[in-house]
This record gives sequence, C-alpha cells and structure tokens, in this order.
Amino acid sequence: MGIEELVESIGSHVLTTTLGKVVGWGRGNSVWPAQFGLACCAIEMIATATAGVDIARFGSEAMRASPRQSDLMIVSGRVSQKMAPILRTVYDQMPEPKWVISMGACASTGGVFNNYALLQGVDKIVPVDVYIPGCPPRPEDLLNALMILQERIKAQGILPRQ
Amino acid sequence: MSETEGVTITKTGAPGAFGGELLTVNFGPHHPSTHGVLRLIVDLDGEQIRRVKPVIGYLHTGIEKQMEALRWQQGVVVTDRHDYLSPPINNLAYALAVERLMGVDVPPRAQVLRVIMSELTRLSSHLVWMGTSGLELGAMSMLMYCFRERDTILDMNEEISGFRMHTSYIRPGGVYADATPRFLEMLEGFIYAMPGHIDEYENLLTMNPIWRSRTIGIGRLSPDDAKVLGATGPMLRGSGVDWDLRKAVPYSGYESYDFEVATSDDCDCYGRYLVRIKEMREAVKILRQALDKLPDGPVNVDDRKMLPPPREELETSMEAVIHHFKLFTEGYSVPPGDVYVAVESGRGENGCYVVSDGTHKPRRVKFRAASFVNLQALERMALNHMVADMIAIIGTADAVLGDVDR
Amino acid sequence: MSSRGPLFAENLVVERGISAGDAWVTVEPGNIRAALQSLKDDGYRLLVFLTCVDHLADASRKWPGRYELVYQVRDMESKDTIRVRAFVDGDPPRIDSVHDLFPPANWDERETYDLFGVVFSDHPELTRILMPDDWVGHPLRRDYPVGGEVVEFSEEHKIWQTAPEDA
Repeated sequence: MGIEELVESIGSHVLTTTLGKVVGWGRGNSVWPAQFGLACCAIEMIATATAGVDIARFGSEAMRASPRQSDLMIVSGRVSQKMAPILRTVYDQMPEPKWVISMGACASTGGVFNNYALLQGVDKIVPVDVYIPGCPPRPEDLLNALMILQERIKAQGILPRQ
Repeated sequence: MSETEGVTITKTGAPGAFGGELLTVNFGPHHPSTHGVLRLIVDLDGEQIRRVKPVIGYLHTGIEKQMEALRWQQGVVVTDRHDYLSPPINNLAYALAVERLMGVDVPPRAQVLRVIMSELTRLSSHLVWMGTSGLELGAMSMLMYCFRERDTILDMNEEISGFRMHTSYIRPGGVYADATPRFLEMLEGFIYAMPGHIDEYENLLTMNPIWRSRTIGIGRLSPDDAKVLGATGPMLRGSGVDWDLRKAVPYSGYESYDFEVATSDDCDCYGRYLVRIKEMREAVKILRQALDKLPDGPVNVDDRKMLPPPREELETSMEAVIHHFKLFTEGYSVPPGDVYVAVESGRGENGCYVVSDGTHKPRRVKFRAASFVNLQALERMALNHMVADMIAIIGTADAVLGDVDR
Repeated sequence: MSSRGPLFAENLVVERGISAGDAWVTVEPGNIRAALQSLKDDGYRLLVFLTCVDHLADASRKWPGRYELVYQVRDMESKDTIRVRAFVDGDPPRIDSVHDLFPPANWDERETYDLFGVVFSDHPELTRILMPDDWVGHPLRRDYPVGGEVVEFSEEHKIWQTAPEDA
C-alpha cells in the first residue's frame, strides 16, 4: 500500500501528537480527589462539588472514599499532631502519580493557630503542589488551584515527577 | 455511663448471640461518613453493634491555649473556628461573656443585628447538616438543594462582614459594622423565598419511604437518657424535652420574639430531623420579626477604651489617636472575675466560660461544646443497631468535630 | 442568677459569692462529691461543664491553690445555675471523680486530665482524650509553652517558645 492510498483511506482521521501530551491530557482532565475533609475548608470543598460551582466541569467530581482510587489529596483544614500520621498514611496509600493541594491557611502554614497542637504547614509531612490562601478559601479559589494543577499535570506528561 | 440500664460491656472474641464471635472494627478517622475526623471503635456481633467507643482529638486545635496567648479583642477570630458551622453564634457567646465581665450593654440595633446573624447561622448550619446527612443516607439531591440556599446566606455574610464563613461579625462591645442597605434587601428576599425552599426539602425527605425507613425507630434516645447524658439542642428536643436556651435563659433580647420551641416525641433520628426542619421555619419567623423591628441607632458601645474610634475622628482628635494606639498595641483589660454565658447554637448549648485576671489577655477561656457532650450519647443510641444505621445516628447527632476537639 | 436560699449542707461551703451575675460556692476538694451529690438531690441534675483553671502566678487575688476545679450545674426546672469550685495543689493534683453522679463528666474529666494533668480518683478510664497517647506534658498548664513557630517581628517573638516569665 502506497502512502497516497493510506492518506486517501484514513483521510483527516489522524492526529499526530506525542505520548506525553496524550497522557497529560488524560490525567489532567480526570483528577480524582481523595475525600479528605478535615475542618472548615472541607465544607467549602463540599460546596465546590455542588451545583453552584460544579467541580464536575473540570473532571474532578469523583471524590473517592478510598485513597487507592484517587490522584489528588486536598488537605482541607488544620492538621493536628494526632492527625498527621494518618494523613501521611493516606498519602502513602495513594498510587503514583499523585498530587497534593493544601487548601487554606491552616493547612499551608498553621493559620491563626500558632500553637502546640497543630502541624505548622502540611508540607512538613507531604509534598505540596498548590497552596491556596484564605481561611477558608472560596470554592472558586479551589477551582483556580485545580486549574493550575491541571496545567502542571499536562506539562509534566509521562515524565517522572521532579 | 451508669445511671440507667442498657449498656453492656463486651469483649472482643467473646461469643455472640448468633453463634459467631464478636468482632472489633475500626471506623475512621478518615472515613467518608463520620462527619469529619471522628474515629469509632465498634464491637460487632454479626452486623449488630454491641459497643461503640468514640476516639476523638484528631482535630484538636489548641484553641483554648491560643485564646490565652491573644488579647481580648483578638480572641474573637479564634472563636469563629471551633464550631465552624456556626461562627457568629460562637462569637456571640464570647462577646456576651466579655461584656458581662466588663458590665457593658450593647445598643438595641446591635442586639437585633446579633439575632439576625445568629438565626442566619442556625439556618446555614442546619442546611449543611441536612445536605450531608441526606447524602450519607442516599439522598444525593439534598446536598445540591441545601447548599444552594447556604450560598445565599454566605453571600449575605459576605455583604455584611466581608467574609463568607468566619465572619467575626459579633465582637465584644457590639458588631463589626452596620448592616448595609443591600444586606437588608438581600435579607428581605431571603425571608420571602426561604419558606418555599423548606417546603421543597420536606417534599424530598419527610414522606420519602427510604428516608423514613432509614431514620424512623433508629437511634432512640429516651427523654430521661437525654437529660442524664447532658444532651442539648436538637438531640434533647428530638427526645421531646422542651428546653431551649433562647426561651429558658434569654439573651440578646430573644425574650421579645415570638417563636415556638421545636420538639418531637419520636425520640429517634426522624424526630431530630423534624425538630431541625421546624427550627428552620422558626428561624425564618424570627428573622422576619427582627427585620421588622430593626431600630435605628449606633451598633457599638460608645466606649473608646473598648472599641477603636471612628476613622474621621482620628484626623481631628489627639485623644482619639491615643485611644487607637493603646487599643491596638496593648488592648483593653477586663476586670478580674469569671463568667459563664451559654447560647443556643444549631447543635445545642454552646457556652463560653471566661476567667479574667485583670490583664489584657484572658486567664482561661473554656468553650462548652455541645457536640462534645452530645457525642457521649452515641453509645446509648447506637446500641443493638446495624452498622449501617450508625451512619444515620452519627448524622443526626450532628457533631462538628471542630467543636468536639477544639 | 440563683434566687434560692441555702442550697445544701452549709458546713461544706467555705466561701460563696457572685461573679458577674453567676452564683458560686467554694468547697474543700475532699468534699466535692458530697457537695455535688447534695446539689443533685436538690434538683441540679445537669452538669453543664467541668473544667480547670490554672492560677499559676495570678496576682489578681490570693488563691487557696494553684488548680481551680470548676463545676457548673444547672436545674433545668427552675433554670438556676450554680458554680462549685474546689482548689487543689500538688503534683499531680488529685480530686475525686464525679462521673457516676453526672455521666457527662466522664469525658470532661478525661479532658481535664489530658490538658491539666488533674488526676480524678476512681475514674474508670483516665486516659488522654484530645492529645495523642504518647504526648508529654499537659498543654493547658500555664507553664507549658504555647508552642508553634516563632513569627518574626511579632510581639511574642522572644517569649513565644518559652513560658512567659510571669506566666
């Protein structure tokens, strides 16, 4: 079969791309978050999933109860010293590739609670990709963070994480 | 858990009633339907619950210690965050306690604005409860409906205080700022629309056969047990006890509003649901009355030692500048003494026990958390039920873990 | 708030008064169970809360002991409330448990033990409730540092990590 016949038979049904772009496109548009609600921010995280804001537009409405099925951990709220080992266990149970959004001031830095009980920033125990400021952030802020993360996932492609 | 009969202590591996052995199962703290980071250790006989042991503290934030490190007026920000579904009500408890110690009375307009914010918060708290409980028991659409109205309330919060959830609106000495005309307009529209929305929820749930079979007869708590276990709020009223702090020990002028205390004699999860629905209707009634009688006047006490002077005064008066400087560098001090003030939140009696040693920081602030006490009744309610029923029981107990652990 | 006359066996009361409208009585720590039992018999059947106040270096008045145990009880019929205080000292401070008189005291006592280190004798399960089981120290004592991280340029920059000298 000559090249002309091949072009004739498949016509414009071919799209050339790189593997990385395809994988990144697929991963980026179906980021499934683990349902990891901790405190006040969890309520805003639920609000993000409801009809008004609708995180489903970005392919992330499937909040998984099991960390084994999820790609993204949204640490929504303050992490206490007692919760920290559990948070790390949940993170370790998630399969690669995985990402973390630190939602709100408490998860990012400890927020207004600069005291003995809280972990002063969840980045002490898990690597964080996107931080969201606010106490709690608006649902739109979470969407924005998700979009930033999607850009990164798409750019990352099949390359291993840095 | 003594006092009344019914609680049996069992051991893992002991023979069960159905020929098998008892099995100890761990729930949480990372579990989709425990309303946050609650952990339960459950002894099961087959699928029946023989013992429940809640393990709490996974959200312990050190709020009480933090309050001791903050000045009196700074503490308001922290009070928002313990029961994170009803921030203005927590503010109110703290503000009333500090005002009682200092012996100040807030102006009438501030009192009415406080009532408006409290009732809006009660509504939004019940809406979150109904949405998430519905979701857990299989009524997914409840979440969408309830969060729609909740967003309206949060928009109003934002209009009046600049913040969606943690408003810090009610402060010792008054409120943060006067209501804007737009807020009153939004409130008017909300009061008009809300009864129809509550009808909508009732259409979805009240006669819904699945909802009824999941809640009727589940999690029974007799009136005596509820009293003995110290339950408050919808937990107590759902057991038929007519007790509401807004009626019993009125604060912020609640005695001048005409409303009924919602009770239900069902004593089960369904009864607690009915109580909350009724409370939402009553809250709309209170909002209507409050809006109608909103008086004119100042919204803060005229005490330069307690609240900063208005902006325009700073440009002309040296004294105002001094007060402003003192207030923001050192804060005010509160006379020595201790006081306990309780307010009725969406979950029950949320109180604030404040001890002052006369300095510009509190000696001790203790929050009496309704969820903390209500959660102790979980064992009594869940006994001899199926595991799946426990989700309904935890749901209708409506424990906010931030409130439990503080 | 309380308009009743003598509430219970007067011989138990060491001191009584009213603070910002709240009636209170002080009893000897050894008599706490007797006092609460008689209050319960008198109709005060709801223990609203139980907590502790650490009066370390508190100059506002002369305190009989460092730890002040506070029991707030309420009569739901007459809506009266009364606060019972008892002062204890020692390391660890000890007082009798009241969990069998008032079931809600069970967790409150565990919390007070956890955060203040007050030992409640005869409590069925006196373990930590809020902090992790292996935590060292009792965070709400005044000589326990607030902790957290030092925030530069803040007022507490120097003293944040340690207990303030005047606590």
